[in-house]
Order: sequence, then structure tokens, then C-alpha cells
Amino acid sequence: MDGLNLLVGLAMGLNLVALGSSRLPSLIQVAAVQGVVLGVMPLVMEPDFRWMAVLIAVATMAMKGLVIPALLRRAMRTANIDRDLNPLIGFVPSLLVGAAGMIAAVLLTRQLPLLPEHQESLLAPGALASVFTGLLLLVGRSKAISQVCGYLILENGIYLFGLLLIHSTPLLVEGGILLDLTVAVFVIGIIVDRIQRAFDSLDTRKLTVLRE
Amino acid sequence: MSVSHLLILSACGLLLSLATAMRSSRAWLATSLAGVLSALGAAIFTLLSNGGWEWQSSFRIGGETLHLRLDGVSALFLALVAVLGGVVVSYSREYWAEAAHPRSAPRGRFWLSLMLLAMGLLLLCSNGLHFLLAWELFALCGYFLITLDGRLREVRAAGWLYFAASHAGTLALFAFFAMLAARTGSWELGPMQTQAELAPLFWLALFGFGVKAGLFPLHIWLPSAHANAPSHVSAILSGVAIKMGIYGIVRFSGWLPAPAGAGWVVVGLGVVSAVLGVAFALGQHDLKRLLAYHSVENIGIILMGIGFAMVAAAHGHAAWGALALAGGLLHVWNHGLFKGLLFLGAGSVLHATGTREMNRLGGLWRAMPWTAALFALGAAAIAGLPPLNGFVSEWLLYLGMFDAVNQPGAAVAGAIPAIILLAVTGALALACFVKVCGVVFLGAPRSPAAEHAHECGRWMRGSMGVLAAGCAAIGLLPVAFWPAVRSAVAAWRGATESSPAPESLTTLSFIHVALALAGGGAALWLRRQARRGGWARAGTWDCGYAAPTARMQYTAGSFAGIITEWFAWILRPERHAFRPQGPFPPRAAFHEHTPETVLERVLEPVAKAVLAVSSAARRLQHGRVHAYILYLMSGLAVLAALTFFWGR
Repeated sequence: MDGLNLLVGLAMGLNLVALGSSRLPSLIQVAAVQGVVLGVMPLVMEPDFRWMAVLIAVATMAMKGLVIPALLRRAMRTANIDRDLNPLIGFVPSLLVGAAGMIAAVLLTRQLPLLPEHQESLLAPGALASVFTGLLLLVGRSKAISQVCGYLILENGIYLFGLLLIHSTPLLVEGGILLDLTVAVFVIGIIVDRIQRAFDSLDTRKLTVLRE
Repeated sequence: MSVSHLLILSACGLLLSLATAMRSSRAWLATSLAGVLSALGAAIFTLLSNGGWEWQSSFRIGGETLHLRLDGVSALFLALVAVLGGVVVSYSREYWAEAAHPRSAPRGRFWLSLMLLAMGLLLLCSNGLHFLLAWELFALCGYFLITLDGRLREVRAAGWLYFAASHAGTLALFAFFAMLAARTGSWELGPMQTQAELAPLFWLALFGFGVKAGLFPLHIWLPSAHANAPSHVSAILSGVAIKMGIYGIVRFSGWLPAPAGAGWVVVGLGVVSAVLGVAFALGQHDLKRLLAYHSVENIGIILMGIGFAMVAAAHGHAAWGALALAGGLLHVWNHGLFKGLLFLGAGSVLHATGTREMNRLGGLWRAMPWTAALFALGAAAIAGLPPLNGFVSEWLLYLGMFDAVNQPGAAVAGAIPAIILLAVTGALALACFVKVCGVVFLGAPRSPAAEHAHECGRWMRGSMGVLAAGCAAIGLLPVAFWPAVRSAVAAWRGATESSPAPESLTTLSFIHVALALAGGGAALWLRRQARRGGWARAGTWDCGYAAPTARMQYTAGSFAGIITEWFAWILRPERHAFRPQGPFPPRAAFHEHTPETVLERVLEPVAKAVLAVSSAARRLQHGRVHAYILYLMSGLAVLAALTFFWGR
């Protein structure tokens, strides 16, 4: 339990790092590291060696730690965009809001009717905090790729929730989620490239003419 | 021939007229006249036989079997539709002729026939769903008829206003019929006074039908629609179309259980409509707009009759309620006749001079003696002067209210003010029509258009003559029309016993005939005296001023100035005066305009506020993805908080 809590705490810390990073490559790096940390978790949770847990762990680490970041870096390079993040919400305010969200997540979890074995775990607050951080990144960063990173962190939060149910979630569902995510990132990578070619910018603030 | 045969004949006639409307005006005239005459026959047959006609077929429309019913109440309205429909059809042949309106004349014929057909269906349908279908068809025909001359901007605006108001009413009716069907389990209509849980639905019906009837705060569409429609359409709208609203109120106040106090609410609405309708009419200087406000007034009088009947039914006093209802229902006929006559007269004036502005008319009786005489007869009838029909129906209403005063209970407190206000309304209406006749037909012409006016042709004169004859007939022989009204009153709440004609009605007949004979005799005597003595023409006394012009006459506004001043609190007239100043004043002018108070001071500010809020809300949609995600986030947070704190 302590090992797991340590890892979740690490992931929550990485949330704050993601909120505070000012350049695109470091944001992608943070998301990748968080993916690896999340990938280790099933191994820690299962004291006895099981093929399924190992499979999940390996697949998660490979996808979140290697494939998706690689795709994003490639999109970043081909689109040849400015590496600055141009935040809509400044770094210090985002950090403060993110920290406040984390505290709120811990407080909120105390009110939730959790199973006794999850009472001591940081999984639920970590999941809520990650979801919140992901949304904050989606709202507060203007570049399309940084929004993908926000989306990734949001998904990490959902993954953490999923870990609460690791004994009852079939492997297939977990795999499906991962696949969806990869495809989504892949598609976004292509779209980003096209948008860049068509509009000469990747700032989603400039896409407002498409609203009608 | 039975009622069924006549109705089938009527339907065939009107359907044929639909088919011929676009091609031949002669065939259209013949077929539609045949249609309305057979409908009139069916209505009279039903009214006199004192029984209902019912036809239940297995034919389904919209999943409901067709169920037609013609009882006293609907036959009364059907007779009015038929009479006015026939008159207007023959009037429009000359008034909206092919030569002057090559494009809109065929369309006008088509929509007129369809509207008559729709109104007939509406009166016959005894199924909520079919009633709504007919109602919607009827409302749509009204829109197309009002906007026949759609090249003018104000005509289109009036059409849209009618359309919007009509649909606001229809919305209420959809709710009404749907809830009625949900609570009774069937779309079939019929007497259901025993089901007390249906009572609140009456308010929905009152709103929905009230918009169409044009009772006071809901009359917003009425003045502009009546003023801007072609005059024969105005006659149909005012004479018949708004009566469909009255039909709905009469029908469902009879069939449904009334909620407590509903009768008094209807009386109150009636009194307000009557008094304020005539007050607004006094402030107008557009001839047709003035007549339109008189429709509001007369709807008010009719509603007073219905309202007192409902009060009487609630208190269990049948007799005086029946008298008040008879007055109201006879006024439905009377108003249709004289208001149709007045609108057709106004149409003749418009036809001859090209303007509705009373301050540009004057002295028309020399050029248009027939129109002037018939219009004056209609004016006397609407002002409730004996020996014409307006007096008869108001007399019945007064009788009912006087009997109410004699009853113990709360009715007295309401009846006495209602009597006084009805009398005030009559006096104001008289003043208003003195103004109209004086300004339009007497005096000197105020514009070249009025100077070169010409009398209208035979068809138009004949149509007006038929309506005038109807006004005189009901006025002179009210007893002859009592059986029809009696059977409608009996059918209202399904009562079986029929009340005999009040004795005073017979007396009234004698007095009216005597009055008419005396008046006719006096006129003949005067004419002979004038022939024998010869005419001497001289100028009127002009205060010593040697060179009067037509512009020095009383205008419509100045004539009614004293009375409109009393009602300035609601009329809110807008005046712009540029007074002559200094020894050599360059230019002076005075404009007065009476706004549509309810529309411009109440409804438009509310609508503007709603629009402002809506366009402010539109700013939320700006295309910034980040903010959309923020909306999602806050929405989720609010939902989570709701379930978390409220759901536990």
C-alpha cells in the first residue's frame, strides 16, 4: 500500500510540474514520465505475479511512455511550431489552482463512500486531481499539442480510477481504452499537421471563425 | 332536405369554388354563393328544429374518427358565417376585381373560399384533434388574406403580427386540447361538466380563444390587421373570424366545468374591453383602425353576456343568465351584421378616395349618397340606437343584468357597475360614430381625393344593402329571431327547457316598428315640404370670417379631443405642436398620434429585454475551444455538487 501511495504521490507531483512547465517538450516529457509511473502501479498493487497485471503494465508503459510521446514529438517537429506554451492562464495561477484542486480532491474523497480497502489509498484523490489538472491544461493552454497533453493527463486520471477496479475490469476494456487513446493522438497529430499547413498557426484561439 | 344533405351540398359548393377560384370569377361566385346558402339553410333548419344534428363516421383522420355535430350554438355561428361569407363574396367581386388586382384577385378568391370552408369545419368538428386542424387552417387563411396586397411594408408587418399573435393563442389551444385529451382519455368533445378536475383548463381556453377574439389586453394584433387588410377581408375578420374565438369561449364555458370566479373574470375582461375599446376608437383617425377598435368594444359586450351567464350558472339562477347569454349571442349576430356593413362602407370610401385617413376626407355624402346612408345606418346600429339591432341585443343584456340586481347575493355588486359601464360604452360609441359620420361624410372635402370621389357599383351597394336589411330586420322584429337565440342558449349547457321570449321583446317590436314608421313618415313629410317650398342654399355662419377653407373644419382629433382627454391615462396620445410665434409666424403645425399602448408600451419593452438577454447569451458561443471546455468543466462541477449535496 505504501509503495502504491508513493507512486500516486509522484504522479500528483508530476501534475504540478506539468502545470508549471513553460515549454512544449518538457510538457510532453512530464506526460510521458507520468505514463510510466502509472504503468508501474499494477505491478505494485499485485503482490503475487500475474500475467494479466504484467501485460497491462507493459502495454501502458509502452503506449504512454514511448509511443504517444514519440508521436507528439514528431507532430511538433513536422509542424515546426514555436516551443513556447503561450498560457491563457498564467503559470503561477495555474499552479495555485492546481494545488487547490489537489487539496479539494483529498477533502472530497473523504466524503465519498469508498470500499474499506481503498480508504487509506491515495488512488481516488490522485485520480480526481489528475482529471482536474488535465481539464485545467485544456482550458489554460492555447497550443493544440499542449491540449493533447492535457487530454493525456486527464486520461491518466481516469486510468487511476480504473485501478480501483483492477480486479473486476476485464483486460479487454483496458486495452480498448489504450487503443482509443493512441488512435486519438495519432489523428490529432495528423490534424495538427494539416492545420499548420492550412492556417500557418496552431493556436486554437485563432480557430474561432469555424464556430457556426 | 335534411341537414346532412344541405351540409354536403354546402361542402360541395365550397370545394367547387376552391377549384374555380383561380380561373373564373363568375363560376367562383356562383359556387361559393350556393355553398354558403346551403350552409345557411342547414343552420336555420337546426336552429328552428331545436334539435342537434350529429354524424359519426368510421372515416379516420390522424387516427381519430370523424365526428361532426351541429347544435344550437354552432348553428348560430354557422348562420353568421354563411350570411357574411355570401355578402363578402359578392362584395369582393367588384371591390377586389381582376382589373385592378390582376395578381392577387384569384389568390384572394381562393383563400376566401378556403377560410369559409375552414370556419365551417371548425364549427362542426366535435373532436379535439380535428378542431385544432381546422383552427390552424382557418388561422393560416386569415394570414394569406390579410397580406393579399403584400407589396406594402405595413401590410406585411400587420400580417406577421397577426401570425405571431394567432400562434401564441394556438399554442395555448394545443396545450388545452392535449391536456383535455390526457385527462379524459379521448379526443372526443362534448358536455363534461361533471368532471370537476377539468375546471382549470378553462383558463387556457380563455387565453387561446381570447387572443383570436381580441379581448382587451390580447387585442394587439387586431387594429393593424383589420386596418391593413383589404376591406372585404376586414369585414370577414371582424364580423366572423374573431367570433370563432367567442365560439370557443361559449362552447367550452358550456361544456367544461367552470373554475370558481371564472364568470366574474370574463365579465371583468368584457367590461374592460368594452370601455377601453371605445376609448381607443375615439383616439384614432384612421377610419378602419377606428372600426377595428370598435370590434374590441363589441367583443367586450358579448363577453359580458357570456360572463353573466357563467355567474348565473355558478349560482344556480338559470333565468337571468339565459337572458344575458341571449343578449350576448344575439350581439354576435348583430355585431357581425353592422360591423360587416361598416367595414364594407369603409371599403367603398377607400375604393373611391384611396385613403383611410379621416382628416383627408369630408363631404362624401354628396358624391356617395348610398354609401353614406348605409354607413350611417350601420353607425346608428353599432351605437345601440333604436329601432336597430344593436339596441335589441344590448336590451336583452340589460334585462339580464337588471334581473341579476334583483337577486340576493354577490351578483348585485358586480351587475350595477357593469350596467353603468355598459351605458358609458354606448354613449361613447355614439360620440365616436357622430365623429366618424361628421368628419367623413359631412362638411366640405378636405383633399382633392375626397372632392373627386364617386359612388361604388351595384355589387358593392347590394352587398351593403343586404347587411343593412339584416340590421333593420333584427331591430324591427326581434321576436322573430328569438327562437334561434333560444335554441342556442338551450344548447349552451345542454338544458332541455326553453325559455319563452321575454314580454318586453314583443313590446320592443311594436315600439320599434312605430318608431320606424314615425321616422319614415316624418322624412316623407319633410321631403314634401321641401319640394313645395323649394331649397334655399346659404353659407353657414362663419363668425364673420369671409374666406373659410376646408382645413378650418373640425378634424377627427379635435372633435373627440374632450373625450380622449379623459382617457389620456391609457391612450397616452403623442402630440407635437409647433405654435405660431411672433408677428409674422413662419410655419405652424400640430400632430397627434395615439399609439398602440399595450403593444408599444408593454409588449415591445418586454420583447426587447428578452432579445437583449438572448443576444447577451449568444456571446457565450464565440468559438474558443478552451472556454467551451471550461463550460463543460463548470457544468460537470455543478452537476456533481448537486448530486453530492442534494442527492444524499
